[in-house]
Amino acid sequence: MSSLAAPLPATATTAASPASHEDRSSFAFLAIASLFFVISGIVALLVAGKLQMPTLLGNIAWLTYGRMRPLHVNGMLFGWLLAADMGLAFYLVPRLCGVKLWSEKLGMATMYLWVVIILGAVVEIPLGHNQGLEYAELPTWLDVLVVVAWLMFAANIFMTVANRKYEQMYVSLWYIMGAIIWTAFVYLVGNFATLFTTGVNQANLNWFYVHNAVGLIFTPLGLALGYYFIPKAAEAPLYSHRLSMIGFWSLAFVYVWTGAHHMLHGPISQWLQTVSILFSVMLMIPVWTLVYNFFATMKGQWHQLKDNVPIKFMMTGTIFYLLTCFQGPMHSLRSVNAIVSKTDWIVGHAHMAVLGAFSFFAVGGAYYAIPRMLKTRLHSQALANASFWLWLVGGLSFFVSLWIGGFLQGLQWNDPSIPFIDTVKFMKPFWSVRLIGGTFMFGGILLFFWNLLATWLHRSERPAETV
Amino acid sequence: MIKKIDKNNILFVAAATGFFAIGGILTTFAPPLLDASWAKPAPGLQNYPELAKGGDAHADLVMKGRAIYVRDGCWYCHTQQTRTIEADTVRSGWRDVRSPVSTPDEFVFDKPHLFGTRRVGPDLSRAGGKYDKQWHATHFKDPRSLVPGSAMPPFPWIANNPAELDAMVAYIQSLGRAKDWRPTHDYEE
Ligand code: HEC
Repeated sequence: MSSLAAPLPATATTAASPASHEDRSSFAFLAIASLFFVISGIVALLVAGKLQMPTLLGNIAWLTYGRMRPLHVNGMLFGWLLAADMGLAFYLVPRLCGVKLWSEKLGMATMYLWVVIILGAVVEIPLGHNQGLEYAELPTWLDVLVVVAWLMFAANIFMTVANRKYEQMYVSLWYIMGAIIWTAFVYLVGNFATLFTTGVNQANLNWFYVHNAVGLIFTPLGLALGYYFIPKAAEAPLYSHRLSMIGFWSLAFVYVWTGAHHMLHGPISQWLQTVSILFSVMLMIPVWTLVYNFFATMKGQWHQLKDNVPIKFMMTGTIFYLLTCFQGPMHSLRSVNAIVSKTDWIVGHAHMAVLGAFSFFAVGGAYYAIPRMLKTRLHSQALANASFWLWLVGGLSFFVSLWIGGFLQGLQWNDPSIPFIDTVKFMKPFWSVRLIGGTFMFGGILLFFWNLLATWLHRSERPAETV
Repeated sequence: MIKKIDKNNILFVAAATGFFAIGGILTTFAPPLLDASWAKPAPGLQNYPELAKGGDAHADLVMKGRAIYVRDGCWYCHTQQTRTIEADTVRSGWRDVRSPVSTPDEFVFDKPHLFGTRRVGPDLSRAGGKYDKQWHATHFKDPRSLVPGSAMPPFPWIANNPAELDAMVAYIQSLGRAKDWRPTHDYEE
């Protein structure tokens, strides 16, 4: 395989980099992302608590479940994860290109605009200004700002790539560029084309967007991080360039067809349901090639799992990714879908994708990149390690309780002799475990935030041993 | 070819767009052209948005109720689709009569669509006429007084505001009426 081994540019694997990177925008994006992570985490606990205790802050309209839930979801997706991914893209793209980021000024402006968007959402959503479409709740004026911010981000990344010193583009660059292009289309369909449609037609576009927001925004950005940080943090070359190509191009082709699997058994054309099922199953190809590649890269390096915190996050994220993407195709089979669809199982699945797989990639990347961009050392390896265990234990209890509960709930729904309310009461113990797991994860978020803050505060007292 | 794409960013952008665009177009803009049933209203379907614009007071109430349903996020806990699953038709049914499954023609004027994805509470696609106004008023004030163990939050700002309550109830009573399937009169008569 050696002839196909990863062309992670040689300079990128040695300590010194030809261009000295400023990393201002990168750091700023990660800073706001981790702050929004904490805030969205508080809202998350509130929402989970409300299911247990529906009267909790129940008489205050703007704090009602139906307004806090979209705040939580949008806060996590756009405030935390997408902002963190953009920050890490600003870190790794210049390094993979061997040049500085095209414009730090533009990067900082993008970051400020992003803060405006998130603050706008924090005001609009509790006021009930909801467009009624999942993931597309934000009012149109904010959607327009998102498009502007995305174009600014795109310009910066593409100009950096166009100016690159290394001819060959490493996989992470493909994924980031792919994500930028696909997102533009996916976002416009989900937030603007839906304005001109109704009924099933609109629902189809809405699910196209929801599915591809995860599949063609968060997936490629997350995988770009994996492809960069796993070989970097483990100091091992990527196993196979060819496999990464197969993975990328099959993802580009296959993912986009699957949106209608959100409407299986629902009022939408049967043939479209069947198409979405076929392509959902084909998703196994990009997923398995990628996971195999990551695991093979770690061959002989597994001992590093013990005390290399970024690697822990990256490899655990990879396992969560594999599990999520095994569940996805399974759910799309009609027989399985008839049980799990609309249940809490799906909630467990969605959290494993976003909070398990993609957040683990982003957190691992942040633990690796932040000390390096500040030319210092991480404040505390022990705290970083503790955050990992809180996330792992909390996450597993969260996901597993919802799978078990949701699956049994689905079986109960399919037996109409069981009154609906009994199936609600049945879920309560599972919701309790979920809340406890979520609290653990929130502890992980706090430790993460504190560790990064302390690293920044004490950056000059603790210069990196090697720069 | 692939080797070239690897080194040429313009070629790369073209290929990444092309690969994606095939499915991107065939699954978004093509289906409504291929399946006319998405846009053809069921014979019994009321066009509430048009009626409300034309000054129909009841339609106006229904549309206001719908807006509250969107605003307060009822749709995060309730779906509006009786799926092609037997148990769904029983649960959406009326006493011993099964409800018909939901079809695209019943939702032609829905904007935003409210099919939903999660059922914390029961499906509401056939909720029209299931309970009377008094029941809903009490339920919005305190769901647990009627259904112990319910996870539905209280909505005092709806229950205690006659205009909002009227609108909300009018909307719920309008759900699932496009198909005439009930053998007997419902509570609302
Ligand atoms: C946190 C989730 C949740 C939210 C938000 C919610 N509900 Fe419910 N709803 C439930 C649950 C659980 C039940 C079943 C127990 C009960 O009847 O209270 C229910 C029952 C109902 C029923 C009775 C359905 C039947 O067939 O018996 C109606 C009608 C209803 N909800 C309407 C609404 C409306 C309108 C809103 C928004 C203003 C809303 N719900 C918001 C969870 C929720």
